[in-house]
Amino acid sequence: MKAFQKYILPNLKKYRWIMFFAIFLGFLTFLAASMLTFTAGYLITRAAERPYNILMLYVPIVLVRAFGIARPTVHYIERLIGHNTVLKILADMRVKLYDALESQALFIRSRFQTGDIVGTLADDIEHLQDVYIRTIFPTVVALFLFLFMVISLAVFEPLFALWIALCLIIIIVVYPLISLYMLKKHQIAVKEKRNKLYRMFTDAVLGISDWIISGKKDHFLSKFMKESSAADKFEKKLAHWNHSRSFQLQVLSGIILIFVGIWAGTEAAKGDIAPAFIAAFTLATLPILEGMVPVSTAVEKIPAYEESLDRIENIEQYVVKEPEKQPATLGPKPEIIIDHVTYYYDKKDRPALNNIHLNIQPGEKIALLGKSGAGKSTLLNLLIGAISPTSGTIRIGGKAPKDYGENIFDVVSILNQKPYLFATTVENNIRLGNPSASREEVEEVIRKVKLDQYIHSLPYGLNTQMEESGQRFSGGERQRVALARILLKDTPIVILDEPTVGLDPITERKLLETIFEALEGKTLILITHHLMKLEQMDQIIFLDRGEISMHGTHEELMRTDERYRKLYELDTGKY
Amino acid sequence: MDKNLFKYKNSKRTLTTVGVITVFQTIAIIIQALYLGKAIITIYEGANWSVALSFFSIFLTAHISRHFLQWLKSRVTYKFAEETASQLQRQFVEKVFALGPKPITKFGSGNIITLCLEGISNFRTYLELFIPRFLACLITPVGILIYVFYTDLLSGVIFIVVMPILIVFLILLGLVAKRQKDKKWANYLMLSRHFVDSLRGLVTLKFLGRSKGHRDAIYDVSNKYRISTIRTLRIAFLSTFSLDFFSSLSIAVISVELGLRLINGNMEFLDALIILILAPEYFTPVRELGNDYHATMDGKEAGKKIHQVLETADERTNLADVPLPFWNGQSELKVTDLTKVYSEEGRTVLDQINFSVKGYQKVGIIGLSGAGKSSLIDVLSGFTGFTSGLVEINGKKIPAFTIPSWQKQITYIPQHPYIFSGTVAENIAWYQPDATEEEILEAARKTGLMPLIRELPGGLNEQIGQGGRALSGGEEQRIALARALLTKRPVMFFDEPTAHLDIETEHEIKEMMLPLMENKLVFFATHRLHWMNDMDYVLVIDRGRLVEQGTPEELLRKNGAFVRLIEAQRGRVEHESIPKIYTT
Repeated sequence: MKAFQKYILPNLKKYRWIMFFAIFLGFLTFLAASMLTFTAGYLITRAAERPYNILMLYVPIVLVRAFGIARPTVHYIERLIGHNTVLKILADMRVKLYDALESQALFIRSRFQTGDIVGTLADDIEHLQDVYIRTIFPTVVALFLFLFMVISLAVFEPLFALWIALCLIIIIVVYPLISLYMLKKHQIAVKEKRNKLYRMFTDAVLGISDWIISGKKDHFLSKFMKESSAADKFEKKLAHWNHSRSFQLQVLSGIILIFVGIWAGTEAAKGDIAPAFIAAFTLATLPILEGMVPVSTAVEKIPAYEESLDRIENIEQYVVKEPEKQPATLGPKPEIIIDHVTYYYDKKDRPALNNIHLNIQPGEKIALLGKSGAGKSTLLNLLIGAISPTSGTIRIGGKAPKDYGENIFDVVSILNQKPYLFATTVENNIRLGNPSASREEVEEVIRKVKLDQYIHSLPYGLNTQMEESGQRFSGGERQRVALARILLKDTPIVILDEPTVGLDPITERKLLETIFEALEGKTLILITHHLMKLEQMDQIIFLDRGEISMHGTHEELMRTDERYRKLYELDTGKY
Repeated sequence: MDKNLFKYKNSKRTLTTVGVITVFQTIAIIIQALYLGKAIITIYEGANWSVALSFFSIFLTAHISRHFLQWLKSRVTYKFAEETASQLQRQFVEKVFALGPKPITKFGSGNIITLCLEGISNFRTYLELFIPRFLACLITPVGILIYVFYTDLLSGVIFIVVMPILIVFLILLGLVAKRQKDKKWANYLMLSRHFVDSLRGLVTLKFLGRSKGHRDAIYDVSNKYRISTIRTLRIAFLSTFSLDFFSSLSIAVISVELGLRLINGNMEFLDALIILILAPEYFTPVRELGNDYHATMDGKEAGKKIHQVLETADERTNLADVPLPFWNGQSELKVTDLTKVYSEEGRTVLDQINFSVKGYQKVGIIGLSGAGKSSLIDVLSGFTGFTSGLVEINGKKIPAFTIPSWQKQITYIPQHPYIFSGTVAENIAWYQPDATEEEILEAARKTGLMPLIRELPGGLNEQIGQGGRALSGGEEQRIALARALLTKRPVMFFDEPTAHLDIETEHEIKEMMLPLMENKLVFFATHRLHWMNDMDYVLVIDRGRLVEQGTPEELLRKNGAFVRLIEAQRGRVEHESIPKIYTT
């Protein structure tokens, strides 16, 4: 419910007038449609009475034309206004979701491991625009039409109005509720079946090599088709229910039309209305009912929104409001002192980092190695203040990283394993490091990362779209673009998080050479998986299960550490 | 209209059935109008109630039959749509297996998955909506027109004149909207993707200290997107508008014209009323087709894309199987002039490869990125066929490595082995679902998985893969090796299994792997030179050609391509063909 209150409710308030206007236009559309048949019915009946003067028909003739033109026009405006409003709401909802994710950006991967959570959430937000267009608008329009019809009948005959109200309630309340109740279970079943199919087929496509070699293709095919037809069965039930429902609602509409016809006849017989209105009332019934029938379809979508809202709610629960503090700025000497730091994710487990003690002077080059789960990422998160040590202290330039707040990224930059390059030009991507950089500065950094020749050889140079063909930039080149961005940011400390994974050895070596050259003079913490270029590092640190297992320079370790020697031989492939 | 529509099984029968139902439905519509008119007039004239009621009941019967026929039509088309979609899905899945891994990567595995599930489902909706709507458009207006002509010529003329105008406008506006969309498509796409792009790059933005400020960009771009969308919609909605406008204006015109003629006494009241009731029915089918046009577009597009995939040439042609004995110490594989050309790109990835291996050997394959190491592995393991060349096993010619008798003998371990969504035990026993728990544990022990299994709360029954616990790169390799080990298959293929691992894990995995490679025929493609020490034979590939082969010692003595490659990797000399090539 929290997500509903945060994402749906405020928009209903904020845009209530414009939404009301769109709904009113929606109401007018159906009204104009039924008034068109109403006046047309009246016109013909009056004409059949052959009035003495044609001027008697002047008003209905004008009205028929007016309603004839009004209906499509109002409908057109209503659709544009409705969509415009919803897209405005979409912008608001996107910003809200962005805020929720931004505050926990560094933890999304670890908190929500399942698949492409970010893409799913973006789809969810997109999906929630249907709440307005497909559910709220048609339902409220139907309610207005209901009120209109009942009230106008009540003017003539309250009892009959009551009777029609009861009939209409079947259409706008009973059927929708039954649909909602009956279909929810089926909808959930369909969803589950489809998710299962999705998982199965993803396993087949991504694991295709194993399926081919194992010769289990036929086995998979029959299993998949069986599951698929099981899902189809539920969908078929939903579809059949829909078909039957529209049939039943149409029959009901026909019956209501007869009621109205008979009622108009008796009213005319009593002399309450002119006989010329009999055809008018009878014929106006179906067009107005057409505006009420869609409520069932509108309401049955609710479970789907609930699912999207649940997922958003799941994200929202982790949002914590941090008290605004005056962020610190860096002093003159960006030394890093890690003093007996221990960190527990969970007190019951072993510590992720245990009693780490390190001193990194400005300008030093540090290599950090370790197996997956050794504590490298924990150390990185501590250094940028995303988490704080359970015990011990960590200081950058004399202050705790957390005290820097967002300013920490003016002190430390990070080049991660898969730096994200945005779907915009190369220049814009680089400028993210410093939007106010001059063209010369941009040119300088691409020279430093040795991309200048390549970029200038492209037809659009720096204005080349990053993603145009998807293949324009290789893995090594993408890392260089990201490195250029970091250079433009120009922070005293740079952390490189496994920048060369997935690159072949020659590209790896060249990239590392460029990195060392370009970042000369800065404090460099290189998290790496290979030993290439470690000869040039001031300190090499191996982490193992949260503890430092080896520490020293390349020469020291080669001299004293048998294990390091063995790893080094392995890495270079002794020949 | 879609040509493929006639090619599906039962499509002609369905079209005929729906057509016949529509004819009856049209008759019901006319009867319905006829008796509603009669009933109204009876009441209007203050005649006997029982007469009016009997007319009303005929009206109601016609009304019910009409909607019952609609229901029947929905059922019939639904059945056809469901069967056709399911048929297509089966063909699609079979095709995916026939294509093999490389074309799948080319189409994009995400695209393939979306097409097979959402695409098929959209396609079904398209069939379900389009067939009845389209036939209604062809039949119902004609039926009504015949009746109207029969009763009143002038109204018939108005009806017949308006329809072409309506259709021309529909087509014209559709074209304009499409052109406008195409013209702005790139910009539009960029705006609409901006949000997802921002979310995916959130960590990077955070690291750059730009994430807080970026929310304004999201708001701005969303609003730009809104403005450009509305601009497109203004045109797109015009097509519905023109449909509505002409149909509702024609109704107005017809009723005025009817009124005028009634005054002059040139017409019967009943006929006029019936024509008035029929007028909206005349336009409804076209309006519905127009309204659903956009809803069915996705499905039509999906159908097109599915057919595109189905028409792609198979990389793995089903060739007649040649019985082969299991590979043993005496077996021999001889490859002569093996060439692989990717037909679509016309690129030769393997050019006249010649080598032979005998018995249990470990064959290393090395070369620069893009030289053809993976292509060679792909051909030898049968993920793809070869273009020309002669392959003999024990002197017997085989048409391709895709044949089942070879496939049954091999295992394949890539850089990122796929972990299926299931338990640890299911993943290990993936090739051998009937393996006992002891066998699984034995494989896990040999591949060093026991510490992991002990650490997992569910042990062997812990869920891994999609939606389950994530594994590290080293753990994935161990699972893949355990999987391979359990099969006891004699031929193993490795494609760069350790380059992405940290050096310590690589060391551990290597120690564990070497004994498992004994008494097997192993093909091992890698950049990591240390593996070459443990190979019996090495193939050096450069730009699709086999430039050197021999034992590692021979190649070192030869001081040729192999030595140059080693030197280049160590950064000592520049290899002549390096600068052109970057990554795999």
